[in-house]
Parts: sequence; C-alpha cells; structure tokens
Amino acid sequence: MSILFKGRVQGAQIAQISAAQRIVMFFVSHVRQALGSLGELWRSRTSSFMTIGVLGLSITLPSTLYVMVKNAEQVSSGWEQASQISLFLKEDASKSDVDQLLKRIQLWPEVDTIEFISADKALDEFKQLSGFGDAITYLDENPLPNVVLVTPTSRHAGPTAARLLLEKLKGEREVDIGKLDIEWLERLHGLLNVVKELVTVIALLLFLAVVLIIGNTIRLNILSKKDEILVMKLVGATDAFIQRPFMYTGFWYGFLGGVLAWFAVTILLWWMSSSIKTVSALYQKNFDITGLNFSTFMLMLAVSIFLGLSGSLLSVRRHVREIEPK
Amino acid sequence: MIKFEQVSKTYPGGQQALRKVDFHIEPGEMAFLTGHSGAGKSTLLKLISIMERPTVGKVLINGHDLSNIQRKQIAYIRRDIGMIFQSHQLLMDKTVFDNVALPLVIEGYSHKEIAKRVHAALEMVGLRDKIKNSPMMLSGGEQQRVGIARAVVNKPPLLLADEPTGNLDPKLSMEIIRLFEDFNQAGVSVFIATHDLGLIARMKYRTLTLKQGQMITDGLDEEFQTDDLYV
Repeated sequence: MSILFKGRVQGAQIAQISAAQRIVMFFVSHVRQALGSLGELWRSRTSSFMTIGVLGLSITLPSTLYVMVKNAEQVSSGWEQASQISLFLKEDASKSDVDQLLKRIQLWPEVDTIEFISADKALDEFKQLSGFGDAITYLDENPLPNVVLVTPTSRHAGPTAARLLLEKLKGEREVDIGKLDIEWLERLHGLLNVVKELVTVIALLLFLAVVLIIGNTIRLNILSKKDEILVMKLVGATDAFIQRPFMYTGFWYGFLGGVLAWFAVTILLWWMSSSIKTVSALYQKNFDITGLNFSTFMLMLAVSIFLGLSGSLLSVRRHVREIEPK
Repeated sequence: MIKFEQVSKTYPGGQQALRKVDFHIEPGEMAFLTGHSGAGKSTLLKLISIMERPTVGKVLINGHDLSNIQRKQIAYIRRDIGMIFQSHQLLMDKTVFDNVALPLVIEGYSHKEIAKRVHAALEMVGLRDKIKNSPMMLSGGEQQRVGIARAVVNKPPLLLADEPTGNLDPKLSMEIIRLFEDFNQAGVSVFIATHDLGLIARMKYRTLTLKQGQMITDGLDEEFQTDDLYV
C-alpha cells in the first residue's frame, strides 16, 4: 500500500490473487533471479571460473588433509586393538605359582588370550634372533624373567581400559613389572591431534581469505552495475531487491566451488592411492584409503555455499547502500 | 499535491541552493519550474524525490511530511512518483520492453500483467513497434518517450520531469509536452523543470521561476520570461 496516497495500490496487490498464489509467485521470482544470476556468471565465465577456482581449491586443501587425518586415525585405531600387555614375573616365583597365576588371569573377563614365555624359551629366542649366539652361553645364569603376554578383549583394548587392566595385573603377587606397549600409539595420537589442529587453522585462514576474495569480487560486480542500480533505485527498487541477484551470485560461487572441490579431492586421492598402497604393502597392511562419502560431500558443499553467501553479504550490504542517485 | 514550506537547502561546503522556497501545487495541476542552470531547479526536484533532504523547512506530498519518511521507505515513495530525466536513465543493454517493465518487475507484478501494461504504456507514447529494440537504436526523442513510458507504466499520481526536452528540437519538444498534457488530462499532477522558455511561452501554464535559489515569480506573469531572465 502506498505511503503517500491512501487507497492507491502498489504492485501485486492490484491483481486479485490468493495468498497461496502469491507464495508461489514469491518462489517463482526467486528461482528466476537465481537462474538470472547463473546466466550472469555464464556471460562472464572466465572471471567467474577464476573465482570459483579460488574457492574450490581453498576448500580442496583442508578437505584432503581432513581425509588423510581421518584415514590415519582409522589405521591407528586398527593397531590399538592389538595392544598387548607384557608382564615380567618375579624371579622367585615358583613354577606352581606361575601356573596358578596363568589360570587365574585366564578367567578374567577383560582377558582374551594369554601367552606364557618361559625364561628358557626367551633365552633361546634371544640367542637365535640377537646374533650374540655363543656369547650368551658364557652367562652363569639366565638373566631373563618369565614373561606373560596378555591380550585384552576388544572392549578393553582402548588406551584407558588397557591401562586399568595393567594396574590390576600389576597388583598380582607374582608380577614384577607390567608394560603396556601403547606409548608410541599415544605419541601418534598426540601427533595426529597436532595435525588436526593445524588442518583446522589452515582451513580457517583459507576460509577467511575466500570470504574476502568473494566479497571483493561481488564488490566489483556491484560497481560494474552501478548505472543499472541507480536506475533501479530511481524507479523504486528496495535495497533488498537489488541485493538479491548478488546474493545468488555468491550462492552459485559457493555451490560450484564446492562441486569443484569435490572433484579435486577425488582426483587427488585417486592419484595418491597407488603410493599409499605401496606404503601399506611395506607394512604388510591391507589398507584402502576411504574417500569422500556422501555426507562429507554435503558438508563440503554446505561450507562452500556458506562461504560464498557470507562473502557476498559482506559487500552487498555496504555497497548497494552506498550507491544512491544524486 | 506538492507543498514547500520555507524550504532552504545548503550543501556541505556552504553552497546555498534554495532559500526559503514556498509554493503549493494542487492535485491535478500542471506546472513548470524554470530558471538559469544553477538556480536550484534540480535541487528542488531532488527534494521531492528524496534524493536530498532540506536543511530547513518542510516538503509535503499529498499532505505527508517527507521528513517523516525513513530511508527504508524511500523506495516506496519513488513508486508513487514517475520521474523523467534529461539523460533518460535507460538501461542500454536491455530492450525497450525490459526498460519500461522495470518498475513493474520491482513491484512484483505477474508476467501477464506486466506485458499488458507495458504494451499500453508504449502505445500511449507511440512506440508500440519499437518494443523489442534496444534503446541504443532509437533517436533522442524516442529514447525520451521510452523514459516517459517507464515513468507512467505503474500509473503514478505525480509526474516529475527534469529537462525532458533538453536535447530535442522544438517540434519534438512540443510532442513531449503534449504527452504530458494527456497525462494531466487523465488526472495526473505534472511538474516539469525546464529552461526552454519558448516552450513555456506558447502555453498558459503556471510557471515557477527560481533565481539564485529564491522563488522570484509564481504564476502566469509573462514579462519575466523574456526580459528578466535572459537579458
């Protein structure tokens, strides 16, 4: 309704259309503007592609790193399951004491399997593997203790659960020293956490850069359409109406950048998969790198669109407002 | 329809464009605004279309004080005022149809309604056959008529024109003025700023004259037109 002229109808009010139709018209006009913006991108495809490329590649780097970290975590969690506890028994424990201990431990619900390596057997093994061979025969007595290797059940194989089990085992009378061989794993986890944080920082910096780049691109778009915006304001366009196509441009930058990033990540992983296979073959591990699943792709797309929209919002508000007919 | 009460406008920098201007144009009236370039004609029109705000005084349209209009509402005010410019302000990369349709698109008319009204507006200015052309391919007079079609396409109760005949020869100028007369007959208030005194002299319309920001005549006094201004 007109502000100045009571009773004068403005715009769509004059056509007697129902509320439902008006809602449909609202979406139709939005779709029209969205497609219009897409057409605008196509008309200036070289520069649009460069912007989309910047956005896509900026998302590719953190995404690839993310996939790598996720895979590394998966691999190390596979190793974690195999963590073993080594119990070194007291020298004065008699044979029957040891047998008793083995029987007791075997019954614990936390324990999956146990393996007993007697001191003699350990010395034999050491002779064979160490290469000291004959030198060892000069020893007066066997310096090695009896060892029990305890494998926890999968439920108790995690670092904290295994540590609890270790404490419990240490409480046994016959046990001298217990060792949980997961320290290196914890180090690996620590390292992975550092890498993860690094990825986050890199991602945030890149995202910020992308927002600024898109903001600047949209600013240039707005300035190049200054004349058109002036005319639109003269004939009564609201700021929101003028802003909308630019917001859609930001949306498309984000959407297309996200799709580009997905392609880039897929190609990168495919390229690296053969070298990763070689490495995992060296470690005699059968390991396939997990790529991007659907939900990750959606997340990438959402982040990308969010970046595109915030970039355009950043400049649209200010610069559309600044252009006023004089 | 348009009422100025003791309006002064001083631009930043101290240039005083209008001094205590007072006038009232009745609804349905057609009036001219004249004066040298720099006399304040453009400023006066800008105060009506809220491109500028007065330093002192009140501008009222249809009894509404424009100083109460907030920035966000300005767009809606401009939908009630058909504006015509010397430089046409057409979008050269769009067709005549798109140019004339722009105010309707902004106001959210349906496709069918837009086509109907654009055809009607172009019919009125006699450019029905140029509907698909680019404004670039039209003559100056035709471009101006496209601008007029755009100004009237949403049937505003008030038309403002800033030097609408500025670049046109007398015959074309007269045609443009006849168009304005037609709209005025239909009940639209028309306010035209021009320094084309010959044109005004041929018609008996109320004429407001500005000199150095002051309103020196208001009415049908003809003497000033020849003697006072252009000596």
